[in-house]
Formats: sequence, structure tokens, C-alpha cells
Amino acid sequence: MKALEPWVVDPLETFLAESAARLTLLMTSSGQVVAQHGFSRSLDVMTAAALGAGIVASTEELARLTGAGRFEGLVHNGQRQSCLLAAFATPRGRWIGLVVFGPETSVGIVRLFFDQMVHQLVAAAPRELAPSAPMLAENFETELNASLKALFGR
Amino acid sequence: MTETQTALDRVTRVPGVRGALVIAAADGLVVAEQLMEDVDGQAVAALAGSLVLRLARTAESAGLGRPRFLHLRGDAGSVLAAPGADDLVLVAVVGPDANLGLARLELLEAAGRLA
Amino acid sequence: MSLVNFTAREITCKIVYYGPGRSGKTTNLQYVYGRVPENRRGRMVSLATQTDRTLFFDFLPLELGTISGFTTKFQLYTVPGQSYYNATRKLVLQGADGVVFVGDSQARRFDDNLESLQNLQDNLLSQGVDVRQLPVVFQYNKQDLPADLVLSQEEMDDALNFRAVPSYPADALHGAGVFETLRGISELVLKRLAVGTPVG
Repeated sequence: MKALEPWVVDPLETFLAESAARLTLLMTSSGQVVAQHGFSRSLDVMTAAALGAGIVASTEELARLTGAGRFEGLVHNGQRQSCLLAAFATPRGRWIGLVVFGPETSVGIVRLFFDQMVHQLVAAAPRELAPSAPMLAENFETELNASLKALFGR
Repeated sequence: MTETQTALDRVTRVPGVRGALVIAAADGLVVAEQLMEDVDGQAVAALAGSLVLRLARTAESAGLGRPRFLHLRGDAGSVLAAPGADDLVLVAVVGPDANLGLARLELLEAAGRLA
Repeated sequence: MSLVNFTAREITCKIVYYGPGRSGKTTNLQYVYGRVPENRRGRMVSLATQTDRTLFFDFLPLELGTISGFTTKFQLYTVPGQSYYNATRKLVLQGADGVVFVGDSQARRFDDNLESLQNLQDNLLSQGVDVRQLPVVFQYNKQDLPADLVLSQEEMDDALNFRAVPSYPADALHGAGVFETLRGISELVLKRLAVGTPVG
């Protein structure tokens, strides 16, 4: 399990233990990952987060257009795995949870402990923002150029 | 009145019963409910659904066949569950002074009619 | 908004390729995808129609490498260019750290470029973002077409680039200008991230 900030760890670990979820991602509404469990390749995590955030954004827009208010969650039932996607408010803005689970648990259990995790996250979130500007070295442009050149093989 | 509503009515008429639900066990979701305000139907459905499925596996492994009735007794009351057809389970949350015998009879009778 | 993980020393930035329909936004990502080693990129996701027009977005995650001790990752998105997909354009634009405006250099697409740029400004404004506060670079694509069909970089700059931000002529299909554009926006985004103040 990886989390961007330490206060996310306890609620997420409790959720994972209680719900028996296989994979879990917590992300911002613009698709940036804040915590993850069960994904092995970091670049795939970004893709899953981008798609999850896209789905939530479009269903919320659909809810607005149809006057349905806000959808609380979306469940995809699969033969071997299912998926819960739900957005929630935190003191750090709107976040999204993407949970993949199998037949060893149920959507009811996952939803129940997901809601509990949301309450715990809201309670645990520090009200003050951590510093977010990294100190980049003066020669970062040289490093950037070298990285991009290496990336493009030129 | 549907079979589901009739089942819930019969069970909740028993003295001491604080609520009854029909749940889909595999999903752990509420299908229908008649509950007193302090009973969290979503939580009961999720946890009772999980419990019924696990106990069903246990019973089958022990060669007991399909469970017909479950009674979980706590300090302040009991949870009763009777599996019906199609993964549906009739669940009752009862207080400590409830008439458990009558509740059991009503639950078994009503669960048999669930489809 | 970019995320900085101080514990793992990671920076993740979101860059959106914007512009009129068929200007070459998806082609930019496809070229990058084709050139970058597999271990430095994720899957390229294209949510497209049956005729390969972008329906929602294309997405390509990239690992740039280590910059100032931070593992730097970029999420490249494109938006659908066609005008009736504005709702999805707005969604993709949410939280962008930088924008590459891919203009179509063909003279006959002049108005489409202007309309799309205006649309970018409107959509950013509706999210409370002033385009002047956001790192933006221009790419003038299809410069490989015959000279009598396309506008030059100077002409495109005059028409679109009022703030004189970096601009790059390109032929995204064959890769010319794609790298330079990505380098340009990366630099602006990271500079802004480092100082925490607006660029431009």
C-alpha cells in the first residue's frame, strides 16, 4: 500500500482489512492518485485513475443534466471481479475511490466499509495544507533536457 | 401486497421484533425493509449476507446441507435469518424480550414464500 | 493540480493537448507513445468513436526520469476537438497543470483555431482559471503541407499567440516538433511548480 500523506494510511488499511477488496485507488477529482493498494505498476495506476476520474466526472455531469442531483456511487458487476467507483467530499477537496473486489466479499460489505473509511478520512484530514512546492535545483532544465532526450532516444 | 411486503409484515408483527429485511445475500444489499429508526439496514444487510454465505459454506463442508435457519444471539438481542429462494434471505433484528419461538416460526413460514 | 509526494519524492503533472478537431492532438500522443521505451510509459488509452475521432480523451502516462531528486511523471491528455463535445473538454481540462494548444496551420482552418482558443479561455475561466496564469505553449501542426496551403509560424503567432509564449512548428505525423513541444511545456510546468508563482 502506498499513500501520498500519512493520515490516509490508517483508514485505508482498516478498509482493506474489513472489505477484502483486491485493489483500491484513492484519487483527486482530476485523476491524481493519492493512495493505492494492489496495483503493481505505477503507470497502470495512473491510467486507472484517469479512467476512474473520467467516469465519475461524466456521470456527475449526466446527473446534473438529468436533474438527478449527485450519484453516490457506481458499481460494475463482473463475472470474476466487480468494481465500485464513488466520489466523496474531504477537507482536501473532492476525492474518488476506485475499489475492485471479487466474490469473496460483496458490494454491500465494500460499500459499508467504504462509507466508514470516508468518515475516518474526513476526521483524520489535517486542516492545513502541507507545503507543496518542491525545491528544484538551479540546473533542473539541464536535467529535464537530458531526461527528455533519453526518453526519446535522441 | 407483494410476497416480500407480506413477509416483512408478518415478522414485524411479532412482539419484540425491531425490524425485518429481505436481503440479496451474495450482494449484501437490502431488497426490502421495515425497520425501527435505530437499526442500520445497510449494515445489517451487508454483514448478515456475508454471515449467511459463510455459514452456508461451513454447513455444506460439514455435510449438513443447506442451512435453514440462523440465530445469532447477542447481549442485547438477536439476529435471525432464514434463507429463501434465489439468494434471498429474510432477516429479523429482535430485542432481548422478543418471543423468539414465534419469530422463528413466522420467519421460516415467510421465507418459504419468498421468490 | 500537480501532486508532489515528498516521502516518495515524486512529482505528477497533468498536461492537456487542446485544439480544434483533426489538428493532430492524438497524433502527438501516438508519436510520443511510439518513441518512448516501454518501461517509461503506460498504456495509451484512447476513448474514440468508430471513426477514430476522440470521444472523451486520449491518455498517456509517462515517466520522465529524475529531476532535482524527484521522480517526475507526466499525464498527457487530449480533449475531443469537435465543438459539440465541450462538456467532456471541460472535464478533461479540470486540474490541468499545463496546456499545449495544437493549432492546424492550414489557412482554411484559421477560424477553427481562433474558435478553439476562445473556447479554451472560456472553459478555463468557468473553472476559475485565468489562462494567463497557466503554463501554455502553442504547436502549429501540419507545417509539412505545401506552403500555399499553410500559414507560417509567424502568421500563426500573430493570429493566436498574443502573450508571446513559446511556440513550435510541427509535423506531428512524422514527429517534427513533438519533442520540442513536450520539452517546452514540461519546462514551464516544472518552473511554475518550483516557484509556486504564475508564469507569463
